[in-house]
Amino acid sequence: MSGSPFDIELDEMTLARARRGSLPACETVYRKFQQPAFSVAFRICNCRETAQEVSQEAFITAFGKIKQYRGDSPFWGWLRRVVVNHAISTIRRESKASTVEFQDFHVQADGGQEQTGLAMDLDSALGALGSEDRAVVWLHDVEGYNHKEIATFFGKTESFSKTRLSRARARLRELLDPDKSSLAAAR
Amino acid sequence: MKVLNMHEIRQKQEDPLNLRSLPLVMPEEDGWPPIESALRQQNRRGRLWKGVGGTLAVAATLVLALALLLGQRFESPATDTPEIVAAPVVQEVESAPLMAPTLESLIAMSQQLEGRVRLYREQMGDLNSNALVYQVELQDLIVQVDEELSMDPGSRELWGQRVNLLLDVTQLYESSLRRDYQQMASL
Repeated sequence: MSGSPFDIELDEMTLARARRGSLPACETVYRKFQQPAFSVAFRICNCRETAQEVSQEAFITAFGKIKQYRGDSPFWGWLRRVVVNHAISTIRRESKASTVEFQDFHVQADGGQEQTGLAMDLDSALGALGSEDRAVVWLHDVEGYNHKEIATFFGKTESFSKTRLSRARARLRELLDPDKSSLAAAR
Repeated sequence: MKVLNMHEIRQKQEDPLNLRSLPLVMPEEDGWPPIESALRQQNRRGRLWKGVGGTLAVAATLVLALALLLGQRFESPATDTPEIVAAPVVQEVESAPLMAPTLESLIAMSQQLEGRVRLYREQMGDLNSNALVYQVELQDLIVQVDEELSMDPGSRELWGQRVNLLLDVTQLYESSLRRDYQQMASL
């Protein structure tokens, strides 16, 4: 087991039928993987609507290209790569469209007011990261991708992935326990 | 102080902030309907493309189907429990005229082929496992075409696709018959 939520076994028969274009088989594949696919898309994009679009597009792409899956690695890994590629393309497109990533500097509370100096839960802290930092820390720590693989997703070098990971973890610690982080910084 | 076991140490290294403890996120809407509709369009486009690009193949299929009908008309033993006889296609194919099939002729072919498949199934029982997988896939595709036909019952293109798929199913049984016959002959 890899620890990734995607690590779900798919029987050969369903896979063979999906490869032949059987819609019931494709639906079985979708039902099996919809939750991990949506989850990873949501963790990367940090928006439910975008995650829904990303995961749907990813499944359509995956079923359209399913014949390219050679079977030399688990199917879930191949499918996960398709979903992650779609999610990363989306955040990169969106970050090009917006010039400043406000989430890097400000954390918005529910009421729209800035919230500083207060501990956040893990979910909110993750959501407060910049999109690339969040994607890198999630892909590395939860999905188990190495720096080389993450760099490939982004079309950048391994040092990009290492720097982002270290920055994301530091920022998460800070958000989760601001007192401890400020003490450490003071030392 | 708690002593960590190896698994916990590794997990702490791989996921120091325990991001894996976050639950999977479920989509609020069922994402399958739009995926299904996109796949149907893709399948339809694919089949149309095949139809346009493979005129000769369609003509050959038509000739085969006509021959099948003619063959059945001439060979019918007129008993309540007819025996399976391989379709005598060759002689008729050579003299069969090439013409565009009418909707009525396609529906008639489809019915004839349905009857033939039923007969094969009753008399031959299960196919071997490889052929069975293929047969299940073909049946799934027939179900898809039937669903599309329920919305557009007068589509010549859809009836043509149905005839083609049924011909594929009959060929599976006929190949299986030939194999059995060769095995018996070699004894």
